[in-house]
Amino acid sequence: MTVIDPRLQEALDGERDPAALPAELREAYARLTAAAALLRDPPATSVADRVMAEIRREAPARRPANWLLRPVTFRLRPVWTLAVAAAVAAVVFLPFRESATPGAEEGVAQFVGHFPGARSVEVVGSFNDWQRGALALRDEDHDGIWHGAVVLPAGQHEYMFVVDGERWVADPLAGRYVDDGFGAGQQNALLIVRP
Amino acid sequence: MVAQVLDGDAEAFGIIIRRYEPGLLRFAARMLGSADAAADAVAESLVRAYRHLAQCRDPEHLKSWLYRITGNRCRSHIGRRHMSDIALDDAPPLADPVDTWAVLERSEQVALVERALAALQPEKREAFVLKHVEGLSYEEMADVTGARIPTLKMRVHRAREALLVALKELV
Repeated sequence: MTVIDPRLQEALDGERDPAALPAELREAYARLTAAAALLRDPPATSVADRVMAEIRREAPARRPANWLLRPVTFRLRPVWTLAVAAAVAAVVFLPFRESATPGAEEGVAQFVGHFPGARSVEVVGSFNDWQRGALALRDEDHDGIWHGAVVLPAGQHEYMFVVDGERWVADPLAGRYVDDGFGAGQQNALLIVRP
Repeated sequence: MVAQVLDGDAEAFGIIIRRYEPGLLRFAARMLGSADAAADAVAESLVRAYRHLAQCRDPEHLKSWLYRITGNRCRSHIGRRHMSDIALDDAPPLADPVDTWAVLERSEQVALVERALAALQPEKREAFVLKHVEGLSYEEMADVTGARIPTLKMRVHRAREALLVALKELV
């Protein structure tokens, strides 16, 4: 295979002005860019209807039942209000709560990570639908060791650390890892919570 | 939009489809050499993306994530058959009587480039298409493929060399 002039590669990578190339390289540049342009024709088909039909079949499973969405009004004596609020909070936060006593089918998961210089570290995982903002780790003495604990249902959970809100890192101390399922060789850390 | 879908609004996924479908279909068609196979691969990828949307860790990288899923789906399609079995849409479409000479010539040129592209190894083909057809940066390509940037640059360079030899006839 012919190795092409590095100046042509640079021009094609946008690192060199193609107009400044010698004539024969300009011709090769034009040929390759013309080839790419020919491949850019928009597709004539659409799969949108097909995909949406499949999704609509699955969607009800994701949507809460209508009766859950319907507003309901309760009349309470003021003395009961606090008790009811506490009971609702206990139910809502049951599957994922920080620093609480675990139930019979739950366990405490402790997270520790060494991220010197980090401004924030949080944990996202299968237990919180990979949503950020649910479990922030703390580094009170600013030594770069971030930690936190949470009560989780017993079983296996996949998780990652998110450092400074943008860098996703598999816990280097996890010991167990699983493929993230998207084929790029990236792995999630695996946590086993025992009751 | 991602948050809306995760909140249960499945219809919002239609907007995501409309935005990214053309690029994904073109990418898959160039990888598989067949519009039908590309449509199947993209449809499967989008349904899979919907099911796993909660794992799209950064909605700002949604585009790369969708290309990654589609690229994986294409690779598994390619893995199931030999390149020689690929039903390339490589024959120029039959000329309509009203076709002008320019249209016919262009379709022959497209077929020539598609044949040259199909002759590349899949990873070089993927790198060339992502870079020069889909216009992704090397950083985005690394996000899509999981490969390192120097590796991707090398694949793109090798693809260009092979195409330049194969496309001598291209005016």
